[in-house]
Amino acid sequence: MVTSTEKIFTEFKEHSVAEFFKKNQQMLGFSGKTRSLTTIVHEYVTNSLDACEEASLLPEVTIAITELDKDTGKYRVVAEDNGPGIPEKHIGKALGMMLAGTKFHRYAQQRGQQGIGASGCTMYAQITTGKPVKVVSRYDTKRITCELSIDLKSNSPKIMNAVKEDGNFGNGIRVEAEVGDVKFDKSSFGVYEYIRRTALANPHLSITLIDPEGQKSSFPRSSDSVPEKPMMVQPHPMGLSTNDLIDFAHREKECRRVSSFLQERFARVSAAKVDELRALVPDLDFDKKPSDLQWHEAEKLVKAIQNPQVKWIAPTTDSVKPIGKEQIEKSLRNILAPEFVVVTERSPKIFKGGIPFMVEAALAYGGGAGRANGSMTGSEVIRYANRAPLLFDNSGCAITEAVKEIDWKRYKLKNFEEEPISVFVNISSVYVPYTSAGKQAISNEDEILQEIKNAIMEAARDLQRYLSGVNRDHDRKERKKAILRYVQQLSKDLPELAGKGKSAEIEKMLVHLIETKYSGQIENGEDEEESTNGKNGKVEEEEDIDE
Amino acid sequence: MVPTKKEGRAKDEEVIKKLEGLGQDMLEQIKAKSTPTFTTALRSKGNIIYDQGIGYIRLGDKTEERRFVNVGQARKFMQTVAIASKCKKFLNEDAHTSIRGLFYQLKFSLGENLDEELFSEQSESNPLVEDLEVALNVKREDLNLNTDRKGVVAGPLVLRDKFGGTEDEIDCTRQGRSGWMIPSDVDNGMEFKSVDADYVLVVEKDAMWQRLNEDKYWKKENCILITPKGQASRGCRRLIRKLASKKLPVYVFTDCDAWGWYIYWAIKTGSMNLAYLGQDIATPEARFVGVTMRDIKDYDFLAQLTIKAKEVDIKRAEEMLSYEWILHHKDWVEELKTVLKTKRKLEQDALQGPRLSFVGDYLKEKIAKKKFLA
Repeated sequence: MVTSTEKIFTEFKEHSVAEFFKKNQQMLGFSGKTRSLTTIVHEYVTNSLDACEEASLLPEVTIAITELDKDTGKYRVVAEDNGPGIPEKHIGKALGMMLAGTKFHRYAQQRGQQGIGASGCTMYAQITTGKPVKVVSRYDTKRITCELSIDLKSNSPKIMNAVKEDGNFGNGIRVEAEVGDVKFDKSSFGVYEYIRRTALANPHLSITLIDPEGQKSSFPRSSDSVPEKPMMVQPHPMGLSTNDLIDFAHREKECRRVSSFLQERFARVSAAKVDELRALVPDLDFDKKPSDLQWHEAEKLVKAIQNPQVKWIAPTTDSVKPIGKEQIEKSLRNILAPEFVVVTERSPKIFKGGIPFMVEAALAYGGGAGRANGSMTGSEVIRYANRAPLLFDNSGCAITEAVKEIDWKRYKLKNFEEEPISVFVNISSVYVPYTSAGKQAISNEDEILQEIKNAIMEAARDLQRYLSGVNRDHDRKERKKAILRYVQQLSKDLPELAGKGKSAEIEKMLVHLIETKYSGQIENGEDEEESTNGKNGKVEEEEDIDE
Repeated sequence: MVPTKKEGRAKDEEVIKKLEGLGQDMLEQIKAKSTPTFTTALRSKGNIIYDQGIGYIRLGDKTEERRFVNVGQARKFMQTVAIASKCKKFLNEDAHTSIRGLFYQLKFSLGENLDEELFSEQSESNPLVEDLEVALNVKREDLNLNTDRKGVVAGPLVLRDKFGGTEDEIDCTRQGRSGWMIPSDVDNGMEFKSVDADYVLVVEKDAMWQRLNEDKYWKKENCILITPKGQASRGCRRLIRKLASKKLPVYVFTDCDAWGWYIYWAIKTGSMNLAYLGQDIATPEARFVGVTMRDIKDYDFLAQLTIKAKEVDIKRAEEMLSYEWILHHKDWVEELKTVLKTKRKLEQDALQGPRLSFVGDYLKEKIAKKKFLA
């Protein structure tokens, strides 16, 4: 379902956004106490990351969570960053009006595209505790302190007790929200896990969590390079749904005709292509105003676009911005301190005939990799879409499915579930195909599933090589140990047997001999030798009682 | 190829020299910065040969190198050296022990930090003793390692036994009802003083031996009467070999069944387990005197005394018939086929059927008429 945003938008015309929100909390990630809290943190962290990226700043984010009332699940969430801050006149819109974010109508790869983000949190706070959120915004030698709530009927922000100060306050934003009906826990759906995973996929981010017990968890940055700003791109017609097309068309103000609208607003649409489409949809007036385009007409148009007779030039893949091989590796090493890391670097691919996407996969093995499960460590799958961790709807996700379909035994992992391994997969695309509006799972598009599998298997081959090496190394050490334990006794008996020689000298020479042999320099011949020691002169047949 | 052994006993000093040589070779190897090794004949089935020319089972030419710096062999190597060192000590002290005694001498912890004993089971030490025997070309008895005694002798045989600091003369005509028990080592400190017999008779069962002893069969026949009490021990086989070397014919009298045949063939040709001792313990000259299925022709009463052959007998008969070498023993082929056809077998005890002392008459007659299974 790539159209969730637009759906929300369309329905918004009939209901107040706030009412819509109330009815659709689940869809927006506010379902379940743990998940609601994670969603709130996600919205604030995402906003900070995006804002810092825009301003080319290295983000530093602190999330502090305090328990206020256990029975009603009341918590205080404070999110603070060092971003550009929000100018006074935009504070209301940014944090107190649904669907009013700066990102909503952009067509570029971004973390969240709902625009419901921080305002949703304001709304949630208001609904569950009745309290406004407290905002401190610092920018350009100004500091604005205010309280903010949403007028539910009109979907407009209400700013209260605003204080404006001048001085050198640096920059950044601090939002404090009191929310109810939530729960902090350390489960894999919880805030801690969300922050850990966010840190993993954003090596330029420095983030700290202070949990309700006062425990501070810091994830320092491992990279000083701010990711490039996402590129604005024109959508490729192959990626369009009827809904998208209607949405784009109805918002069109400049182009007067459908034909020019198609050429101007979409990538790879030439006049010749429009003519091809005309021939396929003869009853559509391509000269009519885009805003007059009817649903059934848009439907036919989309069908024509996807008609295999029409050959489209593939879209540019520039729009896809991966995290980067080096960055992922740094970050995994930084946070998981694993024994071994491998990251695949693959070129962007296309799904649904026109939407570029790119899969990055990494495997971290040993050390802090994997998920601690009691005293055992098991495997974990860390899913991302455009660097945003996907914590929920695990089972329905293409990444989970891909991991499941891989025959891990082939890669020296005997029991995948019980291996100390973190499987990291990030899917970058302007249009990530989520399974639902909650944006927590990637749909099982064939091309995507296959590409994820390929990316993971590519990494797994390297891991396999590493593990064979480890095994060999381990074996060698074990062999050395196994022989060394007999040196002392042999050194004691030999002089007695030979009637000459000194135990201490013999022992020294033998130890040296063994150390040299199993230092790893002599590898050939060793296996050969081991294989010849099969039979030890035992007679297999014919019972005989000699004694 | 393992050098052919000088028959009989190896002197203590020689054995000690061999042991020291083994250790000194290892020291040289260690000094030359290579793993200590020793070579022993391969004792697996592939290197066990029934040599028709010489008439016994022996080891082939395949040898095997044991190496210390090899994970699969390190422990065994260390153990073998420990055994060798211990045996040298026994020889120097002129003390004997059993393999079990040796095992206990060597059953100690390898070190404070090591949760491992030098030996934890006797079964571990047995094959290593064999390794050592083969590597040094000596018998375990030469290393002052004794096995359990088994087998009894009566008849005109006088031995000198130097043991425990004294020397005794043993006259096997004066051992009463119990006979002289054959020790495990009939070479070291043991000598024939006189062997004044016409032949050697080996009877499978102790009961049959007692019957013949009571009848003074050995006296009447001037023979040496031996029972291995079932399968012949190393010492018993060695004694038979030594007596055969004194030009005494050896006749073997067993049941006509799987076990009996096996006892005979083990005495005659040696066995696979002891292939490395073939020359010392096999007596290819031995002849099978009975009891046989064809005896029924000569002694009618035996027809009534056959018993049903067991599955193991049938199997063994079939197995023996599958050997190539058995084809050279036509009587045996016929005998085995009879057992397979009739599914009956005969025990030597059946010869006591008419009267208890009949068995003596039977043996006399058969030996006189040379009615052996060839």
